[in-house]
Amino acid sequence: MGFWSFFFIIVFLGLTTQWYGTNKALKLNSNIKEGPKLPSLPSYYGTNAFLWLVISVLLFLIVWVFSKPHILDYILIQNIPKALIDEFGGTPNMLIDIIKATDISNIFPGTNPIIIENALYYNKIDKLSDSIAYSIILFVGLTVSIFSINKISFLFKARQAVEKTNINLLILCSTIAIIATIGIILSLIFEALRFFEKVNFFDFLFGFNWSPQTAIREGQVASDGAFGAIPIFSGTLLITFVAMFVAIPIGLFSAIYLAEYAKPSVRSTFKPILEILAGVPTVVYGFFAAITVGPFLKNFVGEFGFTIASESALAAGGVMGIMIIPFISSLSDDVIRAVPQNLRDGSYAMGATKSETVKKIILPAALPGIMGAVLLAISRAIGETMIVVMAAGIAANLTLNPFESVTTVTVQIVTLLVGDQEFDSAKTLAAFALGITLFFATLFLNIIALRIVQKYREKYD
Amino acid sequence: MAEKIKISTKKVNVFYGDKKALENINLEIPEKKVTSLIGPSGCGKSTFIRCLNRMNDTIDICRIEGKIIIDNEDIYSKEIDPVLLRAKVGMVFQKPNPFPKSIFENVAYGPRIHGLAKSDDELDELVTQSLVKAGLFQEIKDRIHEPGTSLSGGQQQRLCIARTIAISPQIILMDEPCSALDPIATAVIEELIDELAKNFTIVIVTHSMQQAARVSQQTAFFHMGNLIEVGRTDQIFSTPSQKKTQDYITGKIG
Repeated sequence: MGFWSFFFIIVFLGLTTQWYGTNKALKLNSNIKEGPKLPSLPSYYGTNAFLWLVISVLLFLIVWVFSKPHILDYILIQNIPKALIDEFGGTPNMLIDIIKATDISNIFPGTNPIIIENALYYNKIDKLSDSIAYSIILFVGLTVSIFSINKISFLFKARQAVEKTNINLLILCSTIAIIATIGIILSLIFEALRFFEKVNFFDFLFGFNWSPQTAIREGQVASDGAFGAIPIFSGTLLITFVAMFVAIPIGLFSAIYLAEYAKPSVRSTFKPILEILAGVPTVVYGFFAAITVGPFLKNFVGEFGFTIASESALAAGGVMGIMIIPFISSLSDDVIRAVPQNLRDGSYAMGATKSETVKKIILPAALPGIMGAVLLAISRAIGETMIVVMAAGIAANLTLNPFESVTTVTVQIVTLLVGDQEFDSAKTLAAFALGITLFFATLFLNIIALRIVQKYREKYD
Repeated sequence: MAEKIKISTKKVNVFYGDKKALENINLEIPEKKVTSLIGPSGCGKSTFIRCLNRMNDTIDICRIEGKIIIDNEDIYSKEIDPVLLRAKVGMVFQKPNPFPKSIFENVAYGPRIHGLAKSDDELDELVTQSLVKAGLFQEIKDRIHEPGTSLSGGQQQRLCIARTIAISPQIILMDEPCSALDPIATAVIEELIDELAKNFTIVIVTHSMQQAARVSQQTAFFHMGNLIEVGRTDQIFSTPSQKKTQDYITGKIG
């Protein structure tokens, strides 16, 4: 049995179960002439049976998906001659991978015939095991649906059961999101710990020299590697600062204009145009920064007798700021408009002008939301990759001068992981250490901001 | 009547877009008296009161014809700055709307933007005096720096009144100031209105005819965008001259 026939049988079984359960409940109810009927509406009995069927089938499917590779590997090892395993260095794992990767419809000439034989065998047991598993799951599903239809009686409260199942499904979904986050953090932490076995934690965090290009084979000309992260974090902060310097005033002021001053017709034109900015792919911003803004700044600043690097922090940060404007303006616009009209009325009725009202009533009331928008924008700027990969430098200069070239954490992660790499050298593992540090830095920033917002929030309801 | 007329409206029509909300309103409001506007929902009394301090300017589709004269000046003429007008004609709203600031800052807001206090001491004194006049000071004097929103509904409304009188307006407009309050808080505000009428001209919109009878000296009855009848409050409630007024106060329409 293939997957699709299995799928359609399950769908059919599900619909039948729902229909049959509802019908049975309807019949039970119609037999009652007087006195209490079923405690829930008939459709709930059908839905309850349906949910049980779907949940049990899904549960078994998940178990099968996760256990299948282990079972198949075990069967395959039993079939492989001992001599072949010895030929491949005594461990069967590599051999199993080769066998699984052999495409039986397109076999290279000269492939070991035992491997071909095993590949065919693997293909056979793969299909057979699926058929067996699907049959078992179908049988389980059928049993569950018969059982839950039998359960329909005057004592069974189907509505409560369905509600409870729904709540549990929702809880499950939100738990999956949390588990995924925890999984990401854990994988980062484990790789980072391997890095810190090779490089001292404090040397990494407080070192001033970053040059990670270590030799990956004997005799290669390269440095010994220095992993002091301060220059790249300072570079990230410098570019983020430049970006915010552009994005916060422009974004916030355009939000104030759109929310408080613009006529509806102007607003309905301006807002979509601003939001188009958010839809431009970051790679486009990247070459805009590298090809247009960078050279322009070089000429423009040159006019005044200053020198500026082609890949300056100013160009990358400035373009990143432009990218971030719509985040700030759109979110701030929403929070400004959410300030209740009666506060504006109250202020106008006191003889306040529009700008006084904006400054003294609306902005303070909207501040927590605006702070939230700015923070979101900062996280976005720190994590932004494509613009800086294209427009910022690679050399880790420790400087606060925006005319110079700096590098960022994301640029370094990209350069460390692109190309031929060993995955156990300090050089590649450094990427994970950078990742986890970046993660904690952003987390810390968010926590501080949340505290500030809670402390200075002006409640208006 | 021998009283001095503070506000008079001449042939006032108000439109929301194409819809006529008020038609040919001619009303005279005496100085330092309480005038109440009564009528069923949607009759235009709130629209009318919002014309008196040009709050309707903030609504794009609202258009006004005719003359509204306060102290011999047409407030809709080009020379009038609505911002200055609103400092002279204060307003208290239906739902208490204290700013999300401390009690002190709520009251100090108006004096600050109009530069009424020359020093911090003067501002303190002005705020205190306003809270005293609004009958709120005794209750909250220990927590003057707590948020205005932490007060009860009735206290919030008196805070809004204190905020309004802090800039020494001549007229106070009240748009159903008690409709969100319980009877006890309402009684406190009504007493306060009596007190305030010694110094201010008050126009109050109310749904409650009992309230109109209790607090006002003059009553105007609005119906379907028209001013049906205006006169001394006792006269309106005892011997109305119009059939519609009679029907409204006896509960036949409304």
